[in-house]
Amino acid sequence: MLYDMKPWQWVKHVVFHPTEGFEDMRWKKAGSLKIAFFIVFLLFASQVFSSRYGGFAYNTRAYSDIFNIVPILVQSVAYYATWVVANWSLCTLFDGEGNMRRVAIYSAYALVPYIVGNFLSTAISYGLTLDESIWYNAIYLVGLWWSVILMVFGMKACHQYNFTVTIVTMICTVLGMLIILVLLALIMSLFQQVYVFFATIYTEILYRVRS
Amino acid sequence: MKIKKLLCVLVAVVAAATLMCTAVSAVDPYTTYNYDAWWNAVPSQAGYEVIDTADSTRIGLSQLADPESEFFISENEPTTMSDMKDFFFADNGDIYICDTGNNRIIKTDINFNLLACYKYFPGSTSKHTVTDEEGNTVEVDADELKAPYGIFVDHDGEMYIADRDNQRIVRCVEETKTSARILTEYYRPESALYDTQSFYCTKVVVDSAKNVYVICPAVNKGAIMFSEAGSFLGFYGANRVEVTATVIRNRIWRKIASDSQLASIERATPVEYANFDIDDEGFIYTVTEVANTTTDAVKKLNPAGYNILERTADNDSFGDQVSITYNGTTYATRLTDISISDDHFINILDYTSGRVFQYDERCNQLLICGFDQEEQRGGFNNPNAIETYDDKIYVLDGRNCDITVFGLTEFGRYVHEAIALHNEGLYEEAYDIWQEVLKRDGGYYMALIGTAKALYNQDDYKGAIKYSKLSFDADEYDRAFEANRQETLRNNFTLYVIIILIIIVILVIIKILKKKGKIPQKLIATGVGKIAEGGKKIISNIVASTKKGGKK
Repeated sequence: MLYDMKPWQWVKHVVFHPTEGFEDMRWKKAGSLKIAFFIVFLLFASQVFSSRYGGFAYNTRAYSDIFNIVPILVQSVAYYATWVVANWSLCTLFDGEGNMRRVAIYSAYALVPYIVGNFLSTAISYGLTLDESIWYNAIYLVGLWWSVILMVFGMKACHQYNFTVTIVTMICTVLGMLIILVLLALIMSLFQQVYVFFATIYTEILYRVRS
Repeated sequence: MKIKKLLCVLVAVVAAATLMCTAVSAVDPYTTYNYDAWWNAVPSQAGYEVIDTADSTRIGLSQLADPESEFFISENEPTTMSDMKDFFFADNGDIYICDTGNNRIIKTDINFNLLACYKYFPGSTSKHTVTDEEGNTVEVDADELKAPYGIFVDHDGEMYIADRDNQRIVRCVEETKTSARILTEYYRPESALYDTQSFYCTKVVVDSAKNVYVICPAVNKGAIMFSEAGSFLGFYGANRVEVTATVIRNRIWRKIASDSQLASIERATPVEYANFDIDDEGFIYTVTEVANTTTDAVKKLNPAGYNILERTADNDSFGDQVSITYNGTTYATRLTDISISDDHFINILDYTSGRVFQYDERCNQLLICGFDQEEQRGGFNNPNAIETYDDKIYVLDGRNCDITVFGLTEFGRYVHEAIALHNEGLYEEAYDIWQEVLKRDGGYYMALIGTAKALYNQDDYKGAIKYSKLSFDADEYDRAFEANRQETLRNNFTLYVIIILIIIVILVIIKILKKKGKIPQKLIATGVGKIAEGGKKIISNIVASTKKGGKK
């Protein structure tokens, strides 16, 4: 049977068959959430790798001591999570057929070329001079755009849209992500104030009790 | 117990060592520092140390009020200097000090022995209206100075004095020990171009063609330029306007505002510069004092008035890199004077911190000395002017009323020697000296760059890579890396070719065998499968063991 594949073989199939792969996967109800989360972890790892390693001339920042993992965590895991949530909540309103599990799996599978490109470009920057940076950029950009194309077809297959609607919903999803992130930041700052309020009360009581 | 004892001994030894170290290295009362590749201040060796301080007594100003002396002016002549604004070193090392508060010029030799004190300046063409004791207005010769703010002495020994409150520049030569004869006076230009009413000149510089350049703080079009005869030639080398958010906003408003609104929008005008100096090649260097300007803070002007300062450093600011707010006051760098030494080092005096920042001709930060605690030697209260002679730096303090002399330390001498060779491109010759510098300050930025360049020229690419990494110079690294890669490729060419050939042959063989069906699909599958199964077992074992461990 042609489409009788193991879960990790599906990843390969999807990546190398951008237009058909996701439809096949949907038809076979394949795709594993475990692998999806592993891919997201790899995304995070690839971003850490590209910011901490690389040829000296390409990434001098990697050789200084200052490194903050929080922005990278936000740029990978948090962006992915908000993307999934925003896309699902939007597409349920837009008559999309995908459920959240499917959105999560298809989005994650689409990220594979970007991750590979990220790892590869960082790795080859060890052997390149600045004059040859075109190779570095080429590998990175090919990975990036491959992922974008995969993402479009993935969402198309996931929600059974036509092409235009897919593009529109994806743009709306990005706007939705922005709104979610702003709200999150707002809630966090509010909760911090609440926390400070209770902390002050606590210390105040402590002083009274002691004196 | 033994460990405790050992620890105690260790701690004692370390403490004693640090104490001894501080006792030995306590040359300066302040921590000397320098900037690293990220423009962070890091402790460094002292490049300069205070070797002399000269005040009024040292110069022997009491002779001015002593009738026996040849320098006698009058019984009431002040015997101390007051609020000196400027001083100048003539070619032979004679020092001319503008004693601004006492309206006189003091001339000493290089060892601060009094040579002359010019109080009277006969030969003026202008008259002053003065109210005498009976209330009448009388006209008198303007034969005395009124707040001389700046002085310059040209190669012929002619003095040019910016006589601020008389609103003139005086050009004069020595007549007696107490007076100088005026040759020419330069007044406010009677030109439509010059639209400022006053001519409160503060600084003056003369080039080799005897053109006179004057700074008036009220004029922001640049320096005012006179010919030798005293005619107005024009303005020279104005600063540009610094582009800030306010400037851009006003520019946009200007397009849409009505005429009456336009009048209320403040105009963007450049900042006038505070001081200048001329080097022996005739280039004029200017500094701008206003805090936080980065545009045109330091300029090197060619005769056409264009800035030709060569920047290799990628930062834009001179002086201290950060401003400090302490007790509600912000202390930011205020560049008040500049002096170009004979070996083309740029020395800039920071009024706020009392520090002297030394750069080479390409604006690489070299050494920093001085500080703002006036009670101590080498500290300043009101540092007004800086000059260089030989390899020494002289700083004039207007409130302490003294001149402080900074001499090079061994470290500073090494830095100067090495940077001179470095800037001529003699990297290999500079190498040994940079090593001496690195022995004393292992993080000295220019030394790391210099070592990297020298090693590159000596074809030691691995060393060049190491030092360019230390100095965070990506371009230098790239050069060394490319050369190193080429070298390794060339040396091991056969090896690489053989490896590649072997890989290709193996791949081809596998493909052929596959095509012929000699390797059954199952064999490949089982091989992969076995490895995968083995991996699974190991992982599950590990998982099981950790779980067990957790339960315990």
